[in-house]
Amino acid sequence: MTSATSPAGPPAAGHSPAAAPQVPPPRAARARGGRAARGTARPGIVWALPAVVFFGLFALVPLVLVAVLSFTSWSGLGSPAFAGLANWTKLFDDPVLIQSLWLSVLLTGLGVVVQTPLSILIGVWSAGHQRGRAVLAAIFFVPLLLSVTAVSVLWRALLDPNFGVPAQARWLFGDGNLLGSRTGAIAVLVLVSAWQYTPLHSLIYQGATRAIPQVLYQAAAVDGAGRVRQFFHVTLPQLRNAVVTSVILMVVGGLTTFDSVLILTQGGPGTDTTITAFYMYDRAFKRFDYGTGAAVALLLVVVATAISLIVVRLSGYDRMRGTQEGVS
Amino acid sequence: MRISMRMSQEAMPGTVRGRTRTSAGRAGAHRIRLARTLACGGAALLLGTSLTACGGGSGSDGKQEFHVLVYGDAGNKVEKSIVAEFNKTSKVKAVLDTIPGADYQQKLQTIINTPQAPDVFFNWGGGSIQPFVKAGLLMPLDDVFKDDPKIGDKFLPSVYNTAKIDGKAYGIPMRGTQPVLLFSNKKVLADAGTAAPKTWDDLLASVKKLKAKGVTPIALGGGDKWTTMMWFEYLYDRIAGPGLFEKAVGSDKSAWASPDSKAALAKMKQLVDAGAFGTNFDSVKFTDGGSPQLLASGKAGFELMGSWEYSTQKEASPDFTAKDLGYSTFPSVPGGKGDAADLVGNTNNFYSVMKKTKQPAAVAKFLKLMYSDSFVKAQLAIGNLPTTTNTADFVATSSDPAYAKYQLDLVSKAPSFQISWDQAYPPSAMTPIYQAIQEFTDGKTDADGFIKAMQALDAS
Repeated sequence: MTSATSPAGPPAAGHSPAAAPQVPPPRAARARGGRAARGTARPGIVWALPAVVFFGLFALVPLVLVAVLSFTSWSGLGSPAFAGLANWTKLFDDPVLIQSLWLSVLLTGLGVVVQTPLSILIGVWSAGHQRGRAVLAAIFFVPLLLSVTAVSVLWRALLDPNFGVPAQARWLFGDGNLLGSRTGAIAVLVLVSAWQYTPLHSLIYQGATRAIPQVLYQAAAVDGAGRVRQFFHVTLPQLRNAVVTSVILMVVGGLTTFDSVLILTQGGPGTDTTITAFYMYDRAFKRFDYGTGAAVALLLVVVATAISLIVVRLSGYDRMRGTQEGVS
Repeated sequence: MRISMRMSQEAMPGTVRGRTRTSAGRAGAHRIRLARTLACGGAALLLGTSLTACGGGSGSDGKQEFHVLVYGDAGNKVEKSIVAEFNKTSKVKAVLDTIPGADYQQKLQTIINTPQAPDVFFNWGGGSIQPFVKAGLLMPLDDVFKDDPKIGDKFLPSVYNTAKIDGKAYGIPMRGTQPVLLFSNKKVLADAGTAAPKTWDDLLASVKKLKAKGVTPIALGGGDKWTTMMWFEYLYDRIAGPGLFEKAVGSDKSAWASPDSKAALAKMKQLVDAGAFGTNFDSVKFTDGGSPQLLASGKAGFELMGSWEYSTQKEASPDFTAKDLGYSTFPSVPGGKGDAADLVGNTNNFYSVMKKTKQPAAVAKFLKLMYSDSFVKAQLAIGNLPTTTNTADFVATSSDPAYAKYQLDLVSKAPSFQISWDQAYPPSAMTPIYQAIQEFTDGKTDADGFIKAMQALDAS
């Protein structure tokens, strides 16, 4: 909500009479005040020190060590031996690794596609003031409070082909071989993470929806927009920044998913759900091949960073603009 | 079969009949583990302070003690009592450390070459200690027991031999043996007009009859993968004899491509294609109680499983265990080279000694307790079947004497007791083995693909 250079605003409810003209005085004053404050008492670098030290110690140093480790061969016994590019050349000939990258991207993409519409609907709904809303919203929130491990164990039992839900609904699940087939296992992973994480994203949308000024809806109503049109022409455009935030969270979370795979599928059947993070674990901590594990980890860092940057760029997160120009 | 050991002794009490109670039991196990973790954390803290206080510890020369590292679970009861018994008379004290739950092998690997390394540690023999032997960290038993070279005679040879690396023994058996047996639901078999199979053809005939009755002939928790591997282990043994795998895990990888190997794979495929395991076995697990429940509830006729199936079933379905749980050996395969009395499974767990221990004499004295009468009785009392030569004298004191005697007879007479494949190879081979097994069983790869995958394993 800074400088009102373009009055581009939202393509909101047509010609809202309330919106357009009444911008300036208070805003300008606020902006000036802010600038003045920054000018006089800018915090020194010392203020950033705790965060910088923490980040350096727990993020940068390990990252550098992992990079070093990826050029060695080490089983955990003895000291790492320099191995040159061996780990890396091995990796790029490894069909499982290439597949794992695709799987990570696929699972992340499916997660975004499934969770976004769901959480927008739930979030917008729970932002209202209906009767019983608070109770239901609290119930929706519960999955987020459970540990991924507990949730995964629970779902595994629930989806047991002989004694779980599939056994009662043969018409839908056939023989119930969900975790034994590629599509079934991927579907289960998407379902379980949607079940668990939709509440978080709903919360983001709920907050964002509440922040939409009522005046926009009133204006839309005056213009004759029904609830559906209000949703598409007021709510959704106003939620743009929330969508970007939520999608970025989903992408970062999705690419680093690990625990649900470990418990639900162990990367199986075969290697059909061996996503990159799980593959790294498998290499380093099950096969005691820390060098290759480190290489996979580094690759994941690079790929995940690249994808996140692309999403940030495309979505305009980095130059996020206000959605309420012209509204006070 | 690390996992199965764990399940049999620790988490299994949790897998009670109902699905909901399963998770409740699991939560209980978690709580226990948490408590244990806290206790260990506390112990570590105390140890830490004592370290700074007296500047000594596990590897210290000042203190008259040695450390024994054991996999933490219900079996620790016996280890604790043995350590207490030893400490009563010994000037050099034994200190028992446990690593709770799942990641024993991983944690062992990270500490074994550091000053925190124990003097004596629990392991599964075979491939689980092979990397340590190659790294020169372990002391051969010949050196530990210089005055007593016949120590091996105190144990059943088929078990003692599985902790030999390059012909040298490195492990003293220290818990119970767990051969893999063919379990059955006697009522289901009787209803289908069949019985426990003697030969491969009997088994195929039973499969057909059970299928016609609408039950899954064989319960298989394929999601665990080592469960499926048991079928491969027995088929390879019955068709090719124990020699093929020994060769393959040794240096001669071409054994995997031999005609016998292909014949075993063909038999496995025949069984899968006959619908013996149903179609959804890869979504079923043993470790969450799924496949044992299939057998107990009469939805399946057979299950091939380690001897812990008995205690698992007893815990979850006591009525079924008392009335209808049958057990027999794996059927013979006519024309095969393997003896029908051969066994596969977990031969036992072992204590191995670190080369750098400062107390070799005390350690030797401690290890000699592993065939004492009180040790055997204590193990039998908690349902373990020790593999000492004097076990037979006390087998009647077991919590399930008939079952214990049956197993002891099998193990004593077995010409070969093949340690599970995933234990015979070094830990690094475990995931690739599981993948090859699962992909072949699912029909995603053919025999050639399986052979190639097994030949790609790093055996050393």
